[in-house]
Amino acid sequence: MTAPTGNRDGTPLLEAHDVQRRYEAGESTVHALRGVSVAIRRGEFVAIVGASGSGKSTLLHLLGAVDAPDAGRVIFEGRDISRLSDAEATRLRLLRVGLVFQRFYLMPTLSALENVMLPMAEAGLAPAARRARAEELLRYVGLGERTGHRPTQLSGGEQQRVAVARALANEPALLLADEPTGELDAATGAALIALLQRLNADGLTCVLVTHDAALAQSAQRVITMKDGRIVQDTGASPS
Amino acid sequence: MRTTLAWAALRRHPMRTLLAIFGLAIAAALLIDMVMLATGMRASFRSLLTSQGYQLRVTPKGTLPFDTEASVGGASALVASLRTHPDIDRVSPSLGTTVQVSIGDRATSAFALGTTAAVQGEYLLQGGREAAVDTVLREVVVNAAFLERLGATLGDTLDVGTERSAQLRQAGRRAQVVLVGVVRFLYVPPGLPAMAAPLPALQQFLGAAGRDRISLAMASVRVDGRDAEAQLARIEAVRQWIETEHPRVTAISTETAIVQVEERLAYFRQLAFILGALSLVIGVLLVTTLVSLSVNERLGELAVLRAIGVPQAGVLQQIMLEGLMLGLAGITLGLGLGLVTARWLNTILRDFPGLPADLDFFVWSPEAAWKALGMLLIASTVAGAIPAWRAARVRVAQALREEAVA
Amino acid sequence: MRLRFLRAPHVALLCCSLLAGPSLLGAQTPRDTVIGTPTVPLAPGRVAPSVRGIAIDERIAQDAGVRVGDTLRIAAEAGTTGEPVVVDALVRRSADPSEVARSEYRVRLHLDHLQRLTNAIDRVDRFAVAVRPEAGPSAVDSLLAGVNHVAFGFRAHASRDVAVESSRTFQVVDRFHRAIGGITIVASAVFLLCILLLKVEERRRAVAALRLAGLSRRTVALSVIAEAAVVAVLGSGVGAAIGWVATLAVNAHYQRVFRTPLTFALLTPRIALFAVSLSLVLGIVAGALAAWRLVRTPPLTLLGR
Repeated sequence: MTAPTGNRDGTPLLEAHDVQRRYEAGESTVHALRGVSVAIRRGEFVAIVGASGSGKSTLLHLLGAVDAPDAGRVIFEGRDISRLSDAEATRLRLLRVGLVFQRFYLMPTLSALENVMLPMAEAGLAPAARRARAEELLRYVGLGERTGHRPTQLSGGEQQRVAVARALANEPALLLADEPTGELDAATGAALIALLQRLNADGLTCVLVTHDAALAQSAQRVITMKDGRIVQDTGASPS
Repeated sequence: MRTTLAWAALRRHPMRTLLAIFGLAIAAALLIDMVMLATGMRASFRSLLTSQGYQLRVTPKGTLPFDTEASVGGASALVASLRTHPDIDRVSPSLGTTVQVSIGDRATSAFALGTTAAVQGEYLLQGGREAAVDTVLREVVVNAAFLERLGATLGDTLDVGTERSAQLRQAGRRAQVVLVGVVRFLYVPPGLPAMAAPLPALQQFLGAAGRDRISLAMASVRVDGRDAEAQLARIEAVRQWIETEHPRVTAISTETAIVQVEERLAYFRQLAFILGALSLVIGVLLVTTLVSLSVNERLGELAVLRAIGVPQAGVLQQIMLEGLMLGLAGITLGLGLGLVTARWLNTILRDFPGLPADLDFFVWSPEAAWKALGMLLIASTVAGAIPAWRAARVRVAQALREEAVA
Repeated sequence: MRLRFLRAPHVALLCCSLLAGPSLLGAQTPRDTVIGTPTVPLAPGRVAPSVRGIAIDERIAQDAGVRVGDTLRIAAEAGTTGEPVVVDALVRRSADPSEVARSEYRVRLHLDHLQRLTNAIDRVDRFAVAVRPEAGPSAVDSLLAGVNHVAFGFRAHASRDVAVESSRTFQVVDRFHRAIGGITIVASAVFLLCILLLKVEERRRAVAALRLAGLSRRTVALSVIAEAAVVAVLGSGVGAAIGWVATLAVNAHYQRVFRTPLTFALLTPRIALFAVSLSLVLGIVAGALAAWRLVRTPPLTLLGR
């Protein structure tokens, strides 16, 4: 079974060029990113680490077209995604980017299967096809027997695996995960790391934000951030 | 999928959803009732007035039918003149007065109506037979209240009197009549004892006070095969002709009578309008509040939906769908509730003294009711639009950040 | 007409009236207000002047531009010549609910004048009889019984019975208003409960934090109930203020439509107090229900854990 797609031709999938982002927090302005440049190649497994408030989640949001930079450019698959309209950015996230969050954020009223089917329904996939693919994805993440369960009936690790399956629904080119093991215990965290590695091994480009040392160690490349800047990058390509 | 999500969102807090549906149902019920009240009186009155096919009512100048004891003299000439008009099909003259009736030691006053059985449009025969055409008061038909008040039955002979003399302790004019039929008067209040007799007989019985006099003449205008507007135009033309030819009388068309009754009952129509509008406002407020709070609660979830690729329009549709579902459920429940409460309220208002038995205040008019419910449905859906718009416009990254902090 | 049977010791005053229509009406009701020069009653034995005086409705005066002193013609039947009369007075109708929907014009004449005009010589429709102030209710009852026993063709009614009968319309309206009021109260209760439930549930996390910080269920419940009560009282206060403004609009509108000084809507302190008290009770009940749902849920569940 090869749920993810992608290839490892080493060409940049994603590039950030001197991106800056600030936002208002009450009366003060927070400079979340102060000019960050980074290139992510196809098939890479990248971990972004850093202290709270270092700007790693903000960078992840910019890379996934969840947010737009105040300055600088983000190039995804050769296309500048930093100035997309809301509809274009939404379409991009729906079809090309998979997102996984620390708190899973599954729809509590839907079953695991329905949660996974949701992005496919949005993409216009026929009901039978989306059901078949959702079942396949849930089997891939090891939840083939729990498709009808609601999130409240699943453990944290299971919920996060459903979230991963949902992120893979429309065969994205990029998987972005924000603290995917943050709410999990060590054992379930390890299982999730294994799952992500398997996805990467199957060709999916993965970028993770994490505090988790084990997860960071499992990545091929670790980017360390501090005060809105990249202070270390173990796999930066010469530009 | 949106329907599933909307339905699931409503199912998440069953108590809250049930209360909202119940609140909307009451608003819908009140709206239906008020629409039934606002349109019902008119519909019921129109149906009552047109039930016997007469579109014009000719009364003594400046009066409404039987609203006063006024009568008009020269009745034969008046009726004959009306019958000469080529567009007038039938004319039914009648004379109303109050008489004293007694049987054994039971006595009461009763409303007496002189009519022409062949053309009368005042009552429906329910038992027995019509009084025989006569110029002397010998036979009468009566209503159920009459029988009940006097404990009389068909075939009984009654004393009828008028112009009572205190000194003689008897009626000035008296007659013995046989009760030959039981009728239901269309325009007489159900509790009022009433009787009908041939018009010439009652006129003769009343002496000078009734000689060649009538209280009302109803006229039927030929309107076959015309559209509604042309029919109204022809009736109006005949009405104007009557008033021009006979300055002693007022000719009232069904439309005018309805307007006049509506003026008298304007209070109920306006109350219905105000309460109906309030129902709509309550419905809108309820849905807006519920959906707003529901959206506030789920901003994080909605942000995630947006993050995984659901467009603004998708979120908007989903939230509005919640409002629509609430509206549909509330309205369905409210429809039943409204019909039950309308029956109850109609029973209360039908106790109004002096109203015909067949006049209803709350009448089911499908067109009006569906319009009102459609309006409430649209209102409740639109009521969800403001919070839905807010939800759709949520800034994904900011909402995710705030959610993480929360 | 001889009125021997009314020569009872308690009878103090007799007032006769005759009603005719459509063109005329006799019998000025005691509650109507004469706002122009009053008609001069004829002293016994005095000969009526050749042109008699009448009183007319203020409405006719307004609609037809008639003033006191104008000469009109009055007839018993439309189309007949009638006779000239002088407008001696204008009469404003009393604030009588039973008169509200009646829009016809009225003219008031001296009894003898109307009797002659309508050829109803020595006839009246009704007598109003006043008993002496010292006579009690039993005297009225015995008088009624006496009249009804001896006066064949007459029926005597006590004013209170007439009042009950003539107020039937308003009893029906009153019952209708009460029914609508009942429905409105149920709707308000549901609405209030719904709002409070949502309002409380919106703060689940804050309440959970308070509970985790050691606040007792009782304290949380009481604070929710107190808040609900305050919201209900403030809401009903604002509602009463809006209601008061609405009464002004309603009265102005219907007084204009029905041309009557009658007060249609009245917000009395008692009604306002009832509204506030009812809201308070509803608020407390709704608050208690919402609080009960909140405090029986474990804090961690409230936090979504």
